[in-house]
Amino acid sequence: MSDNIIVGMADYKIGKAPDKLMTIGLGSCVGICIYDLAKKIGGMAHIMLPSSQGKKGDNPAKYADTCIPLMIGDLLKMGVNKAGLKAKIAGGASMFSFAGNSPLMKIGENNAERVKLEIKKAGIPLVSYDVGGNFGRTIILDLTTGDLLIRTINHGQKVI
Amino acid sequence: MDVTAAQLEALKEIGNIGSGHAATSLSDMLQSRISMDVPRVWLLPLNKLTEVFGELDSPRAAIYLKITGEAPGKAIFVFSLPSVQTILDTLLGKNPCTDIFTSELAQSALKEVGNILVGSFIMAITEFSGVKLYTSIPALGIDMIGAMIETILIEEGKIDDNVLIFDTKMTGLTEMEGKFLYIPNEGSLKKLVRVFDL
Repeated sequence: MSDNIIVGMADYKIGKAPDKLMTIGLGSCVGICIYDLAKKIGGMAHIMLPSSQGKKGDNPAKYADTCIPLMIGDLLKMGVNKAGLKAKIAGGASMFSFAGNSPLMKIGENNAERVKLEIKKAGIPLVSYDVGGNFGRTIILDLTTGDLLIRTINHGQKVI
Repeated sequence: MDVTAAQLEALKEIGNIGSGHAATSLSDMLQSRISMDVPRVWLLPLNKLTEVFGELDSPRAAIYLKITGEAPGKAIFVFSLPSVQTILDTLLGKNPCTDIFTSELAQSALKEVGNILVGSFIMAITEFSGVKLYTSIPALGIDMIGAMIETILIEEGKIDDNVLIFDTKMTGLTEMEGKFLYIPNEGSLKKLVRVFDL
């Protein structure tokens, strides 16, 4: 029996096949999947902003720069092989169109860029990604296959 | 964010005055009685947003206006898609041009609805509390409610672990159901409730 483990905003969860990891309604935030296909163990995060800017005492799962090392640390404790880790990401959309300049347009893009950078820093290959656009995403990571299912409301559904 | 019970009550009262005016404007616009539920005020952890919004991937239309001035914040109207269609049919008459996904006319009509509603909301608050507020131009989104709300919440590039949300349900016409949300930014609450000597 497999369960969907739901990852909330500013949170991350670790799971093991046959369970699936899922986060619902990603807008400008980014869903980060890091998994070891051989061990069938993986983690999913739902970060909201690029950087904690060194702020202590704040929830580290909120930010790309603090969440990614934390999640990798937890995965290693679960016995994954660091060299076998792969990453997939989705989200980072700009949900609203304003006339003129609005930070709302840039936040998604900044989030996605920072996540890519932090994954690279951690030495993990980013095997696929689906970021940007102007629509929300719900994502489900199948820990048995490593497939990341992406659902949208008006832009179809795909697996990356 | 530190909020006292008395401050929450005061916010509920202020929000109630504002959204009452907004509901009246909507009634005038649609020439139909729109009623409003007793509002709720939440100080909600980020992972509990479903308590206000239900399933975070439900399709909704959201009209978002930024509130600026002495107590900045965010105002959001959330309507189900059938409700939006009901509003548009009432305002523009039933015709194929009012499809919300494709019609620019429909989209700008809806933004204008948001403009008028938030305008009357903040005017009522300003009159009551003396706190000067202004609104931005409206933005419209039609998508997963969770995706739209999180995007609005992080607009300033920072976010607290708990979000203060004023929420009231509006019903009327046939099948019209919407929500009005008011989210004061950090620091705005103190200014808003000053009128209560809190």
